[in-house]
Amino acid sequence: MTTTLPPLSIPVTATLVAGGALATHDYSLVHHDRQAALAAGTRDIFMNILTTTGLVGRYVTDWGGPRVRLSSVSIRLGHPVHPGDTLTFAGEVTEYDEATRQATITVTADTDGGQHASGAVVAVLPEDIQDAPAPTTHDKEESR
Amino acid sequence: MPDTDTMTTADTKPRTCTLPDADSARSQITQIIERGEVRHYQSRYAITDRAIGALTDVLGDANPIYTDDVAARAAGHPGIVAPATSLQVWAMNRLDEQLPPSPVDRAYQILQANGFTSVVAVNGDQTYDRYLRPEDRLHSEERVESISELKHTGLGEGLFITTLITFLDEADEQVGTMRFRTLWYAPRTQPDTITEA
Repeated sequence: MTTTLPPLSIPVTATLVAGGALATHDYSLVHHDRQAALAAGTRDIFMNILTTTGLVGRYVTDWGGPRVRLSSVSIRLGHPVHPGDTLTFAGEVTEYDEATRQATITVTADTDGGQHASGAVVAVLPEDIQDAPAPTTHDKEESR
Repeated sequence: MPDTDTMTTADTKPRTCTLPDADSARSQITQIIERGEVRHYQSRYAITDRAIGALTDVLGDANPIYTDDVAARAAGHPGIVAPATSLQVWAMNRLDEQLPPSPVDRAYQILQANGFTSVVAVNGDQTYDRYLRPEDRLHSEERVESISELKHTGLGEGLFITTLITFLDEADEQVGTMRFRTLWYAPRTQPDTITEA
């Protein structure tokens, strides 16, 4: 049994793209200057990676709550995201160790045009998490 | 900082007719790795609650541990913290700041000069040793970690390069790492037909 995270849809605005780039201290023109983005061959400004990473983190703590501790985030990058797109997050707990409460949560972020990002978040979940995942049973452990 | 912005396959430099030379690129970049070349970067500014709040506002992240001391303490932190995923934010260079050339920049130039003229970001991996707090002021060490063999990809022949940034606090304790992998390739298509990745 796996625990599925509730989906999250985020309307992508120019404010999110440009504001996210600047709040992450990324001044590359392609994230806030439409003319520069067009000159670079894309159809509009596009989200920077640090904003994507921030949204992935938000998605996991929106679900797990303020006591979740993130240990790592690994992201594989795909389609760029532009203002007007909708970014839809989905996720599930694919590994969970009851003793350490460490979970691996796989996350995808999709747009209409294709997958923007996919990845894995490793986090320690709180003891009192309401939607506690079922512990992962590893084949190795079964065969002991 | 490595260029963390190239999610599209836009060409970064004027195209030349050079045939890609993987052996030359690999041997020069391997030297950079073996010499242990590193660029140190010291952030001028400490993290502030305002900078954290500006970021979490734009992300729409209402987790109270970023803004509310009481909630942060209730969650086991000493006070408000920065989102773990903001690690790299606190050691980004300032606007128009002049930095010494980094081994990563040099490696990217070598790839371009050897015919791998287009780039696409592939992976970004962060690890966190602890949550960062206001008053933390980071410095970082940036290096080239690895270069792949020549690979045949859907975009063309290319090389995968992985860079590593280690982030440290003022006590020189590591607070996290960031690995960034890009594919540099010789496009199979004409430049004006390149589309988004």
